Amino acid sequence: MSGAFTIVATSAKSDFISKFTLVHPVIRLLVIMCTNLFSMYFFFLLASYVGNPDVSPEYVIIGNVVQSVSTSTLYSATNISGTEKHTGTLEPILSSPPRLFFIFFGKSLFSISMGFVSVSVSLFYAAFIFGVDFSSANIGAIVLICVLTCLSLAGMGLAIGSIGIYLRTSAILANLFGYIGLLICGVNFPVSYLPGWLQVLSYGMPLTYAVEATRSAVGGSALGTMAEPLFMMVLLGAIYLTAAWFIFGFFEKISRNRGSLDSF
Amino acid sequence: MMSARAISAGFKQQAVQFFADPQWIIPSLISPFLLSMVMIFLSSGGTSIEGPLVLQAVLGGGVLGMWANSLFSSSTSVSFDRINGTFEPMLGSGTRIIYVLIGRSLWSTLIGLLNAFIVFAIAEVMFGAGLNVQNPILFFLALLMAMLSLSSVGLLISTLFVLTRKGGTVSSVLEYPIYVMSGALVPISMLPQWMQPVSLALAPTWGVDAIKYSALEGYEGMLGMSFITDVLMCLALSIIFIVSAYVVMLYVERKVLRDGTATRY
Repeated sequence: MSGAFTIVATSAKSDFISKFTLVHPVIRLLVIMCTNLFSMYFFFLLASYVGNPDVSPEYVIIGNVVQSVSTSTLYSATNISGTEKHTGTLEPILSSPPRLFFIFFGKSLFSISMGFVSVSVSLFYAAFIFGVDFSSANIGAIVLICVLTCLSLAGMGLAIGSIGIYLRTSAILANLFGYIGLLICGVNFPVSYLPGWLQVLSYGMPLTYAVEATRSAVGGSALGTMAEPLFMMVLLGAIYLTAAWFIFGFFEKISRNRGSLDSF
Repeated sequence: MMSARAISAGFKQQAVQFFADPQWIIPSLISPFLLSMVMIFLSSGGTSIEGPLVLQAVLGGGVLGMWANSLFSSSTSVSFDRINGTFEPMLGSGTRIIYVLIGRSLWSTLIGLLNAFIVFAIAEVMFGAGLNVQNPILFFLALLMAMLSLSSVGLLISTLFVLTRKGGTVSSVLEYPIYVMSGALVPISMLPQWMQPVSLALAPTWGVDAIKYSALEGYEGMLGMSFITDVLMCLALSIIFIVSAYVVMLYVERKVLRDGTATRY
């Protein structure tokens, strides 16, 4: 167990160093600040322009606060395998003795931390630029939801990204799952607007429950009243993480048995 | 002097890279398509919807798709050279990099149009009411002009990526500002007063308005401007962007060669 912890810690450390060497933390923060501001403003304008009485600009802003975790954590966790493949480092990782899952889990900690930063920036914008009223909000619950959302989406990202090992690139999966929340997770309009088959897909995404719980928390609900969405979100995150364990193991086995490394 | 051979080679090289791995068009399709769908669902309230609003959302999505493609191509253009180790040989060759980038941008323009048509086609299949444009020939020409204007912005951006290896990260910042300021989905009259002059200084804003003129029946124009004004402004601003890209690139190229910092990490 301590061996696994060491692998996770080492992998996380090397990933933080390489990511921050490539792009300085201040520039990374500026990128998050600009991207989140304009994306939130875009949907704010869209909601104002369309004028749907069920969907206020505030509704859209709260949804996009949570979506910002998806575009940071889910996107980058999904894209880890593709990035390693693209830079030619997946082969050495696959030929090293540690389990692939632990290495990738360590790397996902960077995605999780960026999710925290991103959602914090978005919450700031929501309160001080877009005028969302947090006066009666359950701040403790919001913080807890943000933490659980980052972890659940990282689990989902690892599961999807593990399939990316087999593919030529995981960029398509990362783009699809990083942004699909805008449409199917109740970020910009209620899930009930969607056709039935898309609603089924929606309830398989942790983000849907995160958005629902955040709206309740901003409205001032007690933590107990959002137990169901929180439980579902954590459960889905755990299921995806378990799936990632098996999929990574599967490809690891094929790769070593055939000696094909990252060429499937 | 324009180097036609370098432009042609840049075009061909980009085409070969695309055909070697055509799936790269998909990432730049996803986000714009989702945004169009968001607008349609948001407008319809979950019920069936057709007519000008769907057309407006689909047209907007097509423009966003073209921009995403242009931005993605311009940011990866030089970044891939760095990764593949072809950046130094390109710098050391006798040709100015700007010509290679222009050739690549022309290919991206072509693919950007394909990108827009894919968005239109998917929307047509899903909603059926997508593409009843008022004047198809004018619409195609306006679309081509808008794509060229987006490529001119992309070209200017790609010159800056020669200076930095952070292109991929920084480019993501530029996606939504054009979504907001081009008026593709939301009219620029919705923007705050201070932002409108910035929006009007962008060639794609005029291109988008020309597209709407040619496609939407009874469209009255952005801030009361005529179709001819849109075309002239779009072309004039595109030329300004291309000339600016040329001048910036001359400076960047000289600086990189003088300092020897092209691939310093």
